[in-house]
Amino acid sequence: MMRCNDARAFGRRAAGCAMVTTLLMVTACGGDSDSAEAGGDVTLRFAWWGNQERAELTQQAIDVFTEENPNIGIEPESVDFDSYFDRLATSVAADDAPDVFTLGGAYPREYGDRGALLDLSTVEEHLSLDNIDEAALSNGFFSGVQYGVPTGVNTYAVVANPEVFEEAGVEMPDDDTWTWDDFVEIAQEISDNTPDDTYGAVDPTGSDALDLYSRQRGESLYTEDGEVGISEETVQDWWDMTSAMSESGATPPASITAELAGQAAPEQTLMGRGLAGMQLDWSNQLNALRSASGAPLELLRAPGETSNEAPGMWLQASQVYAIGANTDHPEEAAQLVDFLVNSVEAAEFTKADRGIPANSEVLEAITPKLDEDTTVQSEFVAEVTPEVGDALIIGPTGSTETPFILERLNDEVLFGRVGTADAASQFVERVAEEIDQG
Amino acid sequence: MRADRGTAMSETTQRPSESETGDIAGGGSPAGFVDRHRRKRGSLAKREGRAVFIFLGPWFIGLVGITIGPILASLYLSFTRYSLLEPPEWIGLDNFRRMFEDERFYAALQVTVTYVLVSVPLQLALALALAFFLDRGVRGLAIYRSVYYLPSLLGTSVAIAILWRQVFGTEGLLNQVLAMVGIEGEAWVSHPDYALGTLIVLNVWTFGSPMVIFLAGLRQIPTMYYEAAEVDGAGGFTKFWRITIPLLTPIIFFNLVLQLIGAFQTFTQAFVISGGTGGPSDATLFYTLYVYQRGFGSFEMGYASALAWFLLVLIAGFTVVNFWAAKRWVHYGD
Repeated sequence: MMRCNDARAFGRRAAGCAMVTTLLMVTACGGDSDSAEAGGDVTLRFAWWGNQERAELTQQAIDVFTEENPNIGIEPESVDFDSYFDRLATSVAADDAPDVFTLGGAYPREYGDRGALLDLSTVEEHLSLDNIDEAALSNGFFSGVQYGVPTGVNTYAVVANPEVFEEAGVEMPDDDTWTWDDFVEIAQEISDNTPDDTYGAVDPTGSDALDLYSRQRGESLYTEDGEVGISEETVQDWWDMTSAMSESGATPPASITAELAGQAAPEQTLMGRGLAGMQLDWSNQLNALRSASGAPLELLRAPGETSNEAPGMWLQASQVYAIGANTDHPEEAAQLVDFLVNSVEAAEFTKADRGIPANSEVLEAITPKLDEDTTVQSEFVAEVTPEVGDALIIGPTGSTETPFILERLNDEVLFGRVGTADAASQFVERVAEEIDQG
Repeated sequence: MRADRGTAMSETTQRPSESETGDIAGGGSPAGFVDRHRRKRGSLAKREGRAVFIFLGPWFIGLVGITIGPILASLYLSFTRYSLLEPPEWIGLDNFRRMFEDERFYAALQVTVTYVLVSVPLQLALALALAFFLDRGVRGLAIYRSVYYLPSLLGTSVAIAILWRQVFGTEGLLNQVLAMVGIEGEAWVSHPDYALGTLIVLNVWTFGSPMVIFLAGLRQIPTMYYEAAEVDGAGGFTKFWRITIPLLTPIIFFNLVLQLIGAFQTFTQAFVISGGTGGPSDATLFYTLYVYQRGFGSFEMGYASALAWFLLVLIAGFTVVNFWAAKRWVHYGD
């Protein structure tokens, strides 16, 4: 019978082909080719992550820059956060990195240590760092080299919704003195006195929160020499607290927390929907969360700042601007970064979108022009500046995995599949493993 | 067809006469004539051979540049530590050693194998059942066939994965329906116990392509077998079990191999539904997703390549076992 033979032959061939294609996933992806440069003009590629609003603000600033520097053209690449770092890694590997790009958290170190970033001292005549906040600058300074310039300053704090507090008949806490026990109690009280879909607090677990919590105990997530600094005991205490909150309803049940984990957009968070009383977050998220929720959200100091060994809060560069190590136009790229961080003209558009400007002169000049939401943020940062602890120790290469390790174990803990002690020891062990592999 | 063959023949008959004149001028014995004949055929074959390569060229370039090249590159990379940002560094078998101590490697393997072993048989059973039903001469067969085939086209798309998230979310369609009948649903997508289940359902739902192949197979079973069986007094089930299934085994085998390989490589759905994390707590950490995370998430292209090669060997192993077992249950009828 013909068809049977056909089917067999086809089956074999198809199986072979399919097997061969299995490995295709490791192909290098070529990016866009460099743009044409007409008449000696220079074109820079500038990549950042963020939403449409940020893209518009940034574009307005870029327009001013290109007007002032007619020989430089800018090709903007606005990418959403979820795919930004995948894309950046691929383009750097393909030697097709943008000339200027934003980095955050442990990424400047990761890229810097791997030789992907330009040493900014080589372009210092085009890029002045004189008026930039010291602590913020340190977030772009690794292995003796300044690799990045802070886009702005941020602090990790509590965002609170006064409307939810009022609905529950709970008073706003005194954030100068409140403790983690107060935080738990207040969250519980709000949950108890509001409809079922409203919670006192969002599950607070995150690597920044753990850093804060451990710093209050005189530890830190990472040590200066790039090891794990947090103790198992501290992680366990944290999870004992948060899992009890989830169980008692002070924070949402595990499944809601897990579902929200994949949704970074402020509009989709419980806080953004007006369904949560408190949330640990970065101060520059206030504007987005306010406009999403329509409520006059406030910033509070983190719990336990005064009742523990040391203050845990810190000021951090919300992001840094970095220049690709292999850029063809280091000087022009430096000019662009200089314009973005040191000019009032740029700040008039970008304002505090990437954190409160780290250049003190720029901040002073634009302060009167800030809208209400940004003023709240800027005042809060100014208020806590004298109180905060030492600059944060940025994690070593390999530590960019930490948030994912934490999220996985957090799911396990909240779903009650792993005990808090066990999860804490796994956390420390796995973070150390990733650092070793890094 | 016949017309084509006609022109081809006339060409071959014409050409020898042209070249023969040149050869005769050079003079020749009967042996020379045979020689000439060979040479002629040789040059024709050569010309045709060249044409073959020209036509194969694009495919061949693609095969080497896009398939074999990267495969060999990844084989090399699997023995290195390669961060994407720095040049690869040879580390021998370390990546493979590390794999067998990596808990997430086992987690990924478990998720993927569970998915393959559960979803593929379910999908094929459903496909066969529907094909069997449609083969009975349903009115509007073309419409049904298209409608059932549609999910196969859409199933691996990002849009469907997002839709799936919506359907199986805490406030999703499924829970709304369940609420109507008074059942409080779970957070299917984000609960570690059910998340993989939703992806299995998604895969089973894309039963269209094996169904169409089954349908074609069913249509080719000669009706005389059934008629003969009926004369012998065989009932519906006996006919299905003794005639349909045995004659369909090559098709079943073909579908099985294809779907197995496809299921092992599932990526998009898991990536979109878990937001790229493989969560909740690695419940949907598909093997390919883990390879991706290692490669592009934590800059360990070397380790990712090693993982990818292990998958290749695993799939090859499964396929070899399949072909070996096939000797026992697939009837080719020849």
